[in-house]
Amino acid sequence: MQIAVSGGKGGTGKSTVAVNLAIALKQLGTELTFADLDVEAPNDHLLLGVELANEEPVVQFMPRFDYSKCTKCRKCAEVCEEHAIITLKDGTPFLMPNLCSGCRACEIVCPVPGAILEGQRLIGHTYITPTPYGFTLVTGKLREGEERSMPLVVAAKKKALEVRKGLLFIDTAAGTGNTVSKAVEFSDLLIAVTEPTPLGIHDTELILELGKLMEMPTWVVINRADLGEKEKVYELAKKYGAEVVAEIPYSENIVKSYVEGKPIVLTNYPEAEIFEGLAERVLKFIGGGE
Amino acid sequence: MQIAIASGKGGVGKSTITASLLYFLKDEYKLIAVDADAEAPNLGLLLGVIEWEEEREHIGAKVARINTESCIRCGICMERCPYDSIYIDDEGNYVVNELTCEGCNVCGLVCPVPGTIALEEVRSGVVRKATTKYGFPIISAQLDVGRPESGKLVTEEKEWAKKIMEELNLEHMVVDSAAGIGCQVIASLGGADVAILIAEPTPASLSDVQRAYKVVQHFREPAYLIINKADINPGFTKLREWAEAEGIPILGEVPYDRAIPESMVMLKPVVEAFPESKAAKALREIAERIKGEIIG
Ligand code: SF4
Ligand code: SF4
Ligand code: SF4
Ligand code: SF4
Repeated sequence: MQIAVSGGKGGTGKSTVAVNLAIALKQLGTELTFADLDVEAPNDHLLLGVELANEEPVVQFMPRFDYSKCTKCRKCAEVCEEHAIITLKDGTPFLMPNLCSGCRACEIVCPVPGAILEGQRLIGHTYITPTPYGFTLVTGKLREGEERSMPLVVAAKKKALEVRKGLLFIDTAAGTGNTVSKAVEFSDLLIAVTEPTPLGIHDTELILELGKLMEMPTWVVINRADLGEKEKVYELAKKYGAEVVAEIPYSENIVKSYVEGKPIVLTNYPEAEIFEGLAERVLKFIGGGE
Repeated sequence: MQIAIASGKGGVGKSTITASLLYFLKDEYKLIAVDADAEAPNLGLLLGVIEWEEEREHIGAKVARINTESCIRCGICMERCPYDSIYIDDEGNYVVNELTCEGCNVCGLVCPVPGTIALEEVRSGVVRKATTKYGFPIISAQLDVGRPESGKLVTEEKEWAKKIMEELNLEHMVVDSAAGIGCQVIASLGGADVAILIAEPTPASLSDVQRAYKVVQHFREPAYLIINKADINPGFTKLREWAEAEGIPILGEVPYDRAIPESMVMLKPVVEAFPESKAAKALREIAERIKGEIIG
């Protein structure tokens, strides 16, 4: 089983929902592994109050040219979709490392064995962090200055699948570009966290569209439900065959718990019940856990 | 002058603050606004834009497609795809997941049956333009669901903005950067003269803005900081300490104020909707400092 929590735009409270739901699920006895695939700004560990551990580098292929063998045929430059290889007038290829995605297309087309050698570049890290809540957190973190988050999302997701125990519970980045689809891919359930403000509603439609395109059962959690027109969220959900499963009111307690890095489900605040209720629904959905 | 406003992650009030600053700058300066968050654009909405005057489709993303008729189901493409974007469907066909494909064409190169895999150009989104009711133009974009290369959309937005600046003789471009630190943000910050960072006093926001600042440093741009919701976490001093240690001037602090979410529901900059609110007053002072110290 795999469940992804996503939410169109940033700041909708997606991570708050993900973190609290994960803890609540574990408290109900569900074995799970939590993956933070927001590789450009991962901070679920901060909300969980843990420090990232077990760092492992993620390296990517990068061509290195052996100019003594290269015949300057330009094939590598022509095939590179990223335009990461530029050639001089006489055909000598040069790499612009920042643009290279590590796809190996250049290596595949190069007709001269050994002209393209295996170079490597560090693009980020993955972390496997034990948490005091009984589940492991897997985090992907893109290195600053790197442009492409896709390879890191792929690497972090692989790592999460390797170490997973029970349910794989995924928190994605904001937006609905292809790195979010990669994080969400193969989920049995997509939980979209939304806001009933005009801005939130616009982004809700996009995330529901993604759920539809990926043919995934989709649930909607309305955060700050009293701040706008939640009827519109219900309408949209209906249009996409999604189900609104929870409403979270705007709450100072949640803001406080977020600010302090102390998950609200561990407190006695009444808001904790919302997440417990949600966890029970998830439990029913996955059939008593895995 | 090109001013980029960034935060490292969404949700810390970047667009609200940008909209308010634009509101204060519009009378004195000839400017254009660029919403560089192509995945979740909202600056246009916050400035009351309902209809776009001009919309350009951006065709440029590429995705691979497999011709099931000629495919011999050897599986080489699936093995070699760097992003695991090829899978076998229920009928046993090899299929590309267009929602995760990066368009690198590795599958096309390794497929032993010529012509079976083709790389096709698809729409990646739209870039659009409007004139706000405040008189200045805005460029925005919207990436289509599941498409790569939001950075390219941002680059196109900025190019269009530059053209308009020439045509209308405008002096300043204010770029509301995307969330994150990837290609969109790099495209947003590239070429800017100065970066204004927005953060709130929480460990998460500090971590995000520190990462955004590293990208700013790559470009060697001077940076400033605005602290939003400055009073929500009184015990947290690390944001301030970090800015001081890095020598990043703090332009001001905006207190937490319910007027901000309420103004967002009204689709107006908070300084217009609630000019007497605490937040509006703080933003007015910040705008004055920007006029004096940054734009000059
Ligand atoms: S690995 Fe791919 S992106 Fe990098 S240079 Fe080669 S073809 Fe271009
Ligand atoms: S394809 Fe190989 S031989 Fe041709 S220019 Fe590139 S590296 Fe040199
Ligand atoms: S184009 Fe690249 S990413 Fe897309 S399916 Fe082919 S190999 Fe995979
Ligand atoms: S490599 Fe070509 S022939 Fe082989 S499975 Fe892929 S598409 Fe079919």
